[in-house]
Amino acid sequence: MGANIYRNKKPALAFLLPAFLFMVLFLYYPFFKTIINSFMHLKQLGATATEFNAPWYTNYEEMLHDPHVWTSVKNTIIMMLVTLVGQVGIAIILALMVDNIGRGKQIFRTLYFFPIVISATALGLMFNLIFLRDKGMVNQVLEMLGKQDLTDWKAEGIALVTMMAPVMWQYVGFYFVILVTGLNNISDELYEAATIDGATALQRVRYISVPMLHNVICTCSVLAVTGALKVFDLPWVMFPKGMPLKTTFLTGTYMYYQTMETKNVDYGAALAVLIVVLGVVLAKVVNAIFREKDY
Amino acid sequence: MKKKRMMAAMLAGAMVLSMTACGNSGGAEKAASTEGDAAKEAPAAEAEAPAAEAEAPAGGSVELVVTTTFAGEDSNAQNYKDAVKAWEAETGNSVVDTSATADETFKTRVATDFETGSEPDVLFFFNGADSNSFIEAGKVVSIDEIRAEYPDYASNMNEDLITASLVDNKKYAVPANGFWEAMFVNTEILEAAGVAMPGKDYTMDQFKADCEKIKAAGYAPIAAALGNIPHYWWEFAIFNNQSPATHLEIPESAGDENGQAWVQGMNDIKELYELGYFPENTLSATDDETFAMFTEGKAAFLIDGSWKVGGIVGACQADPSDPATLDAEKLDKFDVTYVPGKGDRKATDLVGGLSSGYFITRKAWDDPAKRDAAVSFVEYLTSDEMVPKFAQHGASALKNAPEVDASEFNVLQVKAMNMMAGTTSLTGAVQDLFAGDCRVSTFDGMPEIVTGRVAAEDAVAEGLEAYHNQ
Repeated sequence: MGANIYRNKKPALAFLLPAFLFMVLFLYYPFFKTIINSFMHLKQLGATATEFNAPWYTNYEEMLHDPHVWTSVKNTIIMMLVTLVGQVGIAIILALMVDNIGRGKQIFRTLYFFPIVISATALGLMFNLIFLRDKGMVNQVLEMLGKQDLTDWKAEGIALVTMMAPVMWQYVGFYFVILVTGLNNISDELYEAATIDGATALQRVRYISVPMLHNVICTCSVLAVTGALKVFDLPWVMFPKGMPLKTTFLTGTYMYYQTMETKNVDYGAALAVLIVVLGVVLAKVVNAIFREKDY
Repeated sequence: MKKKRMMAAMLAGAMVLSMTACGNSGGAEKAASTEGDAAKEAPAAEAEAPAAEAEAPAGGSVELVVTTTFAGEDSNAQNYKDAVKAWEAETGNSVVDTSATADETFKTRVATDFETGSEPDVLFFFNGADSNSFIEAGKVVSIDEIRAEYPDYASNMNEDLITASLVDNKKYAVPANGFWEAMFVNTEILEAAGVAMPGKDYTMDQFKADCEKIKAAGYAPIAAALGNIPHYWWEFAIFNNQSPATHLEIPESAGDENGQAWVQGMNDIKELYELGYFPENTLSATDDETFAMFTEGKAAFLIDGSWKVGGIVGACQADPSDPATLDAEKLDKFDVTYVPGKGDRKATDLVGGLSSGYFITRKAWDDPAKRDAAVSFVEYLTSDEMVPKFAQHGASALKNAPEVDASEFNVLQVKAMNMMAGTTSLTGAVQDLFAGDCRVSTFDGMPEIVTGRVAAEDAVAEGLEAYHNQ
């Protein structure tokens, strides 16, 4: 009797059912509906689709010729690289440095993690003020340093940098906390043994910390790349409608623009499908590159 | 074994119930705490309404969900809040206000609310093409239908000035206050640049000459964010190549006479951009940023609507919500005049009219508990006493408009009234008829047009094609 309760899976299914129903209702049903809508003609958001586009793959054909789709895919890939290098890379350096200090680790954890708890919309508004051309914080500082003319931080050539810097800044703390936790799990005995063997601080990092953190770094990298695909609110608040000249669109912001601003709802649905496909493919690639090791 | 199964089933049931309960209480809390979410939560609130109303005193404790454009910098935002408070005190009913600034996002929100069945009970909204979708769907009630039950409904309005729907030529929206679009001027910059205040005969050539002087003096001549809100320049640039008689005709194609006027209008804006009369960051700035340039004495001219009077007055107050903190001296440096004319359009031919009004939705009308309250609310907001407060220096549709007491107005409102006294015609905005995705190629596409990446002719043709395919 005692062992039988582990063979009977029915109670477990009963517990899983509510969450499964929730997922079906709010994730899988909308997802499949979005796929269908991408082939239909939808006059506006919320409207019921009554007919297929002619031909039914119109939106996907249009996507191939739409330069803004390619701009948004290109920007999203740049965002992924920036996320990898800027967020995970900086977080590794910070985590290693904080791990080597005696006191105040908790303060640094809190300070670096803090931007995560602020709403991205609020951060977008704040960075709008920081990068404001007229009387913005950055331009005021540059003016104090002797710069004569005002810099338009949202101008065509530099807009992407202005957009990605706050996104990068916001999430460094998230990966920092994961990495610091990973460092805490490395046994002190290893460091002590290395010190007795005459290893310098840099050698301890190179031959103990970094190899032992490999799996944590892999997890952070996968999270960073997939997270970059979902970035939306901060870029949209700072650069609505892909301003300037539609050069700052990401896949998420372009889908929103087509759906909500131009009311091209079925095309927006097709873009949503593209985002999912892109996400699945990139997640596979990243998983293959950052494969975790068994120790 | 059976006991364990029962236990498992009960626990699973309890989980489902607790999730549902959490969902409900969360929704209710949100509805109570945030205005913005109120519209979304409205259906849930309404589902519970009959029970609540059964216990309510006969005096009226109906909750109306109302959406208007009286929010943000709109000069009537405070008037609206005061009026709602007074109506609530008078009737015992309450209003869940879901008003927001009138922009494209707001219009999308309203359209989506109607499509998803979460429309408000009363809506103050545009009566042009923007309202077509919910009128076609029969989701608002015509004034005639309301009058069958309430014969005095909107009887104080001049029938000829109530705009009929483009869908079925029936009248749905009771107008409250009109609007005009004109050119605001920062006179301090004009003085610094040695430019005279523009008047009734102001032409586009004179305007360009003045812009050149202002630019030479180190200021931005025109405050406009072409990458964000090019609407006003779009309207007048097209108007300048037409006449009041032809402005509201939407071209069949970019190649016909009217279509060519639109193309020329776009090219006129391109010329001003190439001459460097817009701010350097006009393609990357928001409308708020260029408006700040105007109020802070860095840009000279601003074409905008009558609602901007409130925005300018607010910018001259230490506390934008407290009229007592108004810096009258600063406000006196602003003026409003006619938009430079060209061809058959005189400077004094302005854009304006009664483009918005109060709709009562079918949902509220079919709810016996809300019908009276909705009618009462609209009648209160469109009464002979209330409309002049909202109309201020603009037009109204009242049959017997009371004499305006100018002593209650600030200096910019008085200047606006004087300017309006000199207008030779007031024509509606063609963009109100040209709504939806057809605008995208010339509104959102304005930066591409002025930088020459897209030809004006192609952008106009694309927009017209989208319009005729609607």
